[in-house]
Amino acid sequence: MSFITWQYLVFLPLVLVLYWQLPGRWRLVLLLVASYFFYACWDVRFLALVLATTVIDYLCALSIEGKQTGAIRVLILALLPAAWLGGCAFFLPASGINLLIVTAAGALGLAFFAGHEIIRRLVSEKRPRLFLILSVGFCLGILGFFKYFGFFLDSAHNLLTFLGLQPNRVLLQIILPVGISFYTFQSLGYVIDVYRGHSPACTSLLTFATYDAFFPQMVAGPIERGKHLIPQLEQTAVFNPVYLQDGLRLILVGFFKKVFVADNCAILANYVFAPQTPLNGYWAVLGVVAFAFQIYGDFSGYTDIARGSAKLLGIDLAENFRFPYFTRNPSDFWGRWHISLSTWFRDYLYIPLGGNRGAKWETVRNLAVTMLLAGLWHGANWIFVLWGAYHGLLLILYRVVPALRSLGDEKSASFCRGVLAMALMWAFTLAGWAIFRSANLHQLGLWLAALGHWQINISLPWVSSSLWLLLHIAPLLLLQILTWKYRDETNLGRLPWPVRGVVYALMLLLIVSSTEHDTEFIYFQF
Amino acid sequence: MKMKKWFTPAFLFAVLLLGLGELGARLFFAADISGRFEYGYSPDAGFDERRDGTVKLFRAGGRRFHPQSFQRQRPAGTFRVFVIGDSVPRGPSFKGAYPWLLGKELQQHQVQAESVNMALPGYGARRCQVVLRKALELQPSLVILHVNDSNKYEDEREFRRSQEFKTWHPRNWPMKVFIFRRLYEAKVEKVFWRLVPEQIRLKFAASDADAQVAASSDPEEVRARVQLARETTAASVALAHAHGVPLLLITQCRVWPDGDRSFYFEDHGLDALGRSLAGERVYHLSMKEVFSGLPDGRSYFSDSGHLKQSGHLLLARALYQVAVIEVILSCHSERSEAE
Repeated sequence: MSFITWQYLVFLPLVLVLYWQLPGRWRLVLLLVASYFFYACWDVRFLALVLATTVIDYLCALSIEGKQTGAIRVLILALLPAAWLGGCAFFLPASGINLLIVTAAGALGLAFFAGHEIIRRLVSEKRPRLFLILSVGFCLGILGFFKYFGFFLDSAHNLLTFLGLQPNRVLLQIILPVGISFYTFQSLGYVIDVYRGHSPACTSLLTFATYDAFFPQMVAGPIERGKHLIPQLEQTAVFNPVYLQDGLRLILVGFFKKVFVADNCAILANYVFAPQTPLNGYWAVLGVVAFAFQIYGDFSGYTDIARGSAKLLGIDLAENFRFPYFTRNPSDFWGRWHISLSTWFRDYLYIPLGGNRGAKWETVRNLAVTMLLAGLWHGANWIFVLWGAYHGLLLILYRVVPALRSLGDEKSASFCRGVLAMALMWAFTLAGWAIFRSANLHQLGLWLAALGHWQINISLPWVSSSLWLLLHIAPLLLLQILTWKYRDETNLGRLPWPVRGVVYALMLLLIVSSTEHDTEFIYFQF
Repeated sequence: MKMKKWFTPAFLFAVLLLGLGELGARLFFAADISGRFEYGYSPDAGFDERRDGTVKLFRAGGRRFHPQSFQRQRPAGTFRVFVIGDSVPRGPSFKGAYPWLLGKELQQHQVQAESVNMALPGYGARRCQVVLRKALELQPSLVILHVNDSNKYEDEREFRRSQEFKTWHPRNWPMKVFIFRRLYEAKVEKVFWRLVPEQIRLKFAASDADAQVAASSDPEEVRARVQLARETTAASVALAHAHGVPLLLITQCRVWPDGDRSFYFEDHGLDALGRSLAGERVYHLSMKEVFSGLPDGRSYFSDSGHLKQSGHLLLARALYQVAVIEVILSCHSERSEAE
């Protein structure tokens, strides 16, 4: 179920009414059922993967802390995903689940059970570490199979063909489960935090399962830390009208970004980046600017709706975007764009690799590895790896070239240098989006070639199309100017209430004027 | 007090503004948005009958009429022609389409005439009949119905959409509010259509277009739609007849390449339909007959079905010579007989 469907507009109020009526732990039961229902609306089969991730990380985190779980309980929980698939096969024959899939899931469950039991029986100081490896191995294994297996298989096949060999083509069609990267990383982050002692293991399976599958942020983030979200789930909040006020405001801003900004910018971006579209320099730039605002409106809009939905339940989710296009350097950009992912990579990969504590070449290596993997996280495609490499290069250059560092430094720069740095960073960001949006290297090459041809006559008028784009960007920029000084993209709180009233009314009108086309959120595919 | 506690003054102010906006839209823009979500099946959308007796045609309710106006009461001695059809009679421009050129042709031959272009792009037989019903109330001397067979699917799809909009479904709720509907209309017709090139609009709606093609290609459905279109055209003829208004059917033809240099015309059986419906006060003109006799007949077409301005001019002259003059004469003779 997507946020921008009428189903969600019915689902959310229903959950809210029940949630605030129920006592204590029943609220968690409701949230868990609602979250599983929310996810199952996409594909009921892949709920088994959510269950698997939940069970593995719940049990491993407990074991890391040395809390005992009975073998029978571990076995039952490990077989839960297979049981779910079996149920689907029995009650929903159209789901396409057969005995082979159920058996494979059961075998995986048994393998986990065996691994868990073997480690549990070990008398060793390394036991917590082994449980961590077990958890990371299984979760990344699931992620790797469903997201990257086909990609690596294809790449290996292409490489062997390139080398003159004639490999047999293995055809394996694997459907990508929605949001798998998000919930896997969230769950992994929790286990690593428990291992490091930064967060206590959650003893309640109900609470942990709700944390893992919390519907507002499950499929596209923000990637929440256990120590932030689990305590909020455990407490029994008393309804406060502020939840309603803040939640509705966030949802309104989110819908505005998604429906008005992103979906309208998408019209031009989709045209420019479609195969066979003839391009000149004007259209190439127009297309990438349109995409820059499309992806920003799409993803930050999703985040705002997610935060708003959670706020209505009295739960705060992490901030994910903070004026990312008003940055002066690449480091600052990653502190403002998809914050929950960039901090995840920082805390669980970059810093463990050594961060910037070692020699300069080590920092360069750490940045390169982190950004390559961050690129790969976005999708099983070399274009995303290239995008990650490009941003890694920007970060490395910013770190090692003193002139760039001085230009991008927020504290020492004059106003003019600040504007220059911002314009330069905007241009670099746009180039990055051109990589990201291109379907493959060939299309990227065509886009780059178009930048060298400004005289080619293309019959389509780019001026009126630019005006279309401007009409949809300008209100967003105005909103950002209004909220800039509060350092929060959605915080209109300190503006005079009549101004806020006008802004709310205008946003609602602009949203409704753009309800013609339903388009899915971009980040669901990741 | 409780309301104030739950919602901020800003929120309540926004609701108040929207409420006032809704009131304003209902008071001042009701005509503009009439029939938008009846998708062409509204009897009155795009017709504004004013208190001073003027009827204005304007773009509203998804009906992209060429803006025109005329007196509701037909002036004495004026020969009033209404042309109803799809994008072909609507023409490349208002003054480049045969309805306007026909009016000029009549005036050049000293006939006091007014010719009104009521053609709408994408309209098939069913929606043309809805326009015809309204047109018959406005005292025409002659109605020209341009019969085409390429918009059957659009008629069906828009009919389903209009029916769906009448259901309780929540996705239709926002558009039940006038202010939202007005803004939506303005956005789509005045911003989207004007600023975004057609090629991009079509590409953007690619999935919809694919669905149309898929739906159009099912032989059973196509047969059913063709049958319905033919029955509807026959019903339109009967309707005009019942109102005592002469009706002229122009049957569309298409031109296709036949080898490198040659071409041929195809009427998809419309000429036979036109001939079968012709009779008392019902006249028929075949586009195929007009253009196929010309050595360079293909050059009058901008694509397989639409005409260039030169084609419209030729058709207007043919209309005058072949048919309209006949209608005028018969009208005169009837009047003389009555006197």
